[in-house]
Amino acid sequence: MRKAIAVWAIARADFLERVRRYSFLLTLAFALYLGYLATTGKLMLRIGNMRGIFNSAWIGGLLSLVASAFISLAGFYFVKNTIERDRETGVGQIIAATPVSKFTYVLGKMVSNFTVLGLMVLILAASGIVVQLVRGEDRHIELWKLLAPFLLLALPAMAVVAALAVLFEAIPFLRGGLGNIVYLCVWIAGLSLPLAANTRALDLVGMFVVADSAINAAHLSFQNSGFQFDLGYFDYPLSTFRWEGITWTAEIVISRVIWLGFSLVLVALSAILFDRFDPSRGRPPRDRQKVTPISVPERYTASTQVIATTLTPLAVKQAHSRFPGILIAELRLMLKGQKWWWYLVATSLVVASAAVPSAEARETRDQTYQLIFSAPHPIARQLPAVWMAGVVVALLTGCGFGFRLLLGGNLRGLVAWVIGLLFIPTFALSLGVWSGTGKPFEVLYSFLCYVGPLHAIPQLDFMGSAPATAATPYPLIYLILSCVLAFAALLGRERQLKS
Amino acid sequence: MRLLIENLSKEYRGNVRALSEVHLALGPGVLGLLGPNGAGKSTLMRILATITQPSSGRVLWNDSEIARHPDSLRAVLGYLPQDFGVYPNLNALEFLEYLAAVKGIQAGAARNRIRELLELVNLTEAIKRPLGGYSGGMRQRIGIAQALLNDPEVLIVDEPKAGLDPEERVRFRNLLSELSGERIVILSTHIVSDVEAVATRIAILVHGQLIANDVPEALLALVSGKVWEVVVSSAELPALRLKHLVSNTAHRSDGVHARVVADAAPENAARPLDPSLEDAYLFALGRQRSRANGGAA
Repeated sequence: MRKAIAVWAIARADFLERVRRYSFLLTLAFALYLGYLATTGKLMLRIGNMRGIFNSAWIGGLLSLVASAFISLAGFYFVKNTIERDRETGVGQIIAATPVSKFTYVLGKMVSNFTVLGLMVLILAASGIVVQLVRGEDRHIELWKLLAPFLLLALPAMAVVAALAVLFEAIPFLRGGLGNIVYLCVWIAGLSLPLAANTRALDLVGMFVVADSAINAAHLSFQNSGFQFDLGYFDYPLSTFRWEGITWTAEIVISRVIWLGFSLVLVALSAILFDRFDPSRGRPPRDRQKVTPISVPERYTASTQVIATTLTPLAVKQAHSRFPGILIAELRLMLKGQKWWWYLVATSLVVASAAVPSAEARETRDQTYQLIFSAPHPIARQLPAVWMAGVVVALLTGCGFGFRLLLGGNLRGLVAWVIGLLFIPTFALSLGVWSGTGKPFEVLYSFLCYVGPLHAIPQLDFMGSAPATAATPYPLIYLILSCVLAFAALLGRERQLKS
Repeated sequence: MRLLIENLSKEYRGNVRALSEVHLALGPGVLGLLGPNGAGKSTLMRILATITQPSSGRVLWNDSEIARHPDSLRAVLGYLPQDFGVYPNLNALEFLEYLAAVKGIQAGAARNRIRELLELVNLTEAIKRPLGGYSGGMRQRIGIAQALLNDPEVLIVDEPKAGLDPEERVRFRNLLSELSGERIVILSTHIVSDVEAVATRIAILVHGQLIANDVPEALLALVSGKVWEVVVSSAELPALRLKHLVSNTAHRSDGVHARVVADAAPENAARPLDPSLEDAYLFALGRQRSRANGGAA
């Protein structure tokens, strides 16, 4: 009983701490955006050239799969900071000195993650009613048919995602950027492998549960069905069929309960790997790293020591601008101290999100803002240098693609690529200034990369990586967007200085 | 009630030695743990708080080794870390309720205890304000309140007075005195005056080694007859500092009144003074460093 109370208390405090942050609105906005995509038909579930009519069952099936597939990506990044927050704030040290067990603590954190993800699912479920009314193909709302897929498909998937987020935080090398990239790979594999291998046992999302039932209703076989998600505009007509929803057999329900059990296994594994905030299991604390053992040259204590106070006078007290110097320093800050894999990933651009760290969040993260903001002309001197450093890093890491465009004489593509180079650091800068953390950039950028350049959706292909994108007005839109974001970054920095 | 630290050593990765063969036996009362920054105090505190494991040696709480049975100590432990934070979007009540549940305190008892503690640390009026809006001193007081939530038998406070104003410091000092009756209180600091009024025993840690562990009177006896007041001009002060251990200075109309710790009077006009704990502490540090360098104090 006491353990249950502790789990509840940990989850409650963590949840309250999260929902009272402005960034939580971003989470809700993301869920609403998914609902909007489904309402406007930009996110479509189809079986060959057919789709179900928009009744409660079809909308429930569609949106629960949207929730499982997309919230499992973005939601992971949103919630993967709960243990880190305790580590950074130092609350973890207090917790570590209490009798609470590692399993109880980690379970509490997982429950908090699950609640946040569940809330996103709930919003999407509520938007399902709006979708049904707006689409107007069948206005008879059947709550069970609408909500059951969320309850039995999306929520078990969210439990696994919530547990995975905790597990990634418990494993030291997966806590940071590498973990984000690894998860992106896990997520892609998790979505594509079960379908590619036709293996229902690995179907976390519940794709087969919906597909089997809907395909049956459409009188098709699975192999010939072409069951898939589509994102974007559709200019071809789809014929419709009526689907009355999933028949929830014991076999299906048990298969979903097994995923819940799997999430508890992940929690148990996290508890084993969790270091309980022991700093000695990582690198030595900063104040210890440079301690010289025993032999100290001075005769008496530091408080009695005489220190030479003659400093060389500065010939010119304040240079008007040292932009190159600041730029080099910013580049050094951006590139130095990264792990080996960062250089590997950045160089190969396998995952573009590692290319430009959200530099502006650094001031908040490293608590250097008091130093930066008290220097003369912090906006005119430092902000452009940060941005330029980001452009240089993006240029260095993406130059292979640029050369290919240049050698191929693809000037339009080259222009789109250059705009992309400007967009990435501007996006990072603006989000970093306004949020004070690199997390929103990591989340949105991962998502953008996946659905934009990787899936060649022109609207989101900010790098112009698909040949067709260069011919569209989207590069120009991204140029305008970059200008707007740059202006927003300036405004944000002004606001920081005044606050 | 007994906390025994036996030959405790801690080495971080990269052969950084934080503690070396520390041995201490603690009973009820206040232990003032003194040492310069980087001496290993926080590492020792973290080991005692069951957060960090020692590299060698052991800590016994009532004959139970805390590395093996940490919960035996955790159940009766109050810990105020050196650098701790709060959840900025929770208010004091929510934050303390959360920690009370984590510490396994029943909800009803916790509510009463929290109310009393918030009164004790003078935060009743700010109870509903988010902690993110608290000043450094107010946060520190929240830290003190959380450490006392479970009515601890062992109270560990690591550099507790940072951010507290003079009135709050006195209040906290008095609180520690009142609490220390049937408890083990370990107060770690590098400020001697923090422990002077409350410590029943003082330990000095330098570069991970325990160089003193005694009652205050015994430490004072070390410098008995060795503390002098010398009046010099401001220009002469640097030379005096090079020659002697100067523990304090005060500017007066007739010059600088320097407090000097030396075996013999530094000059004929030197006036003997009663030793303070700060003199004893600085003397012990100077002696340790001289030994480490192979010289004489």
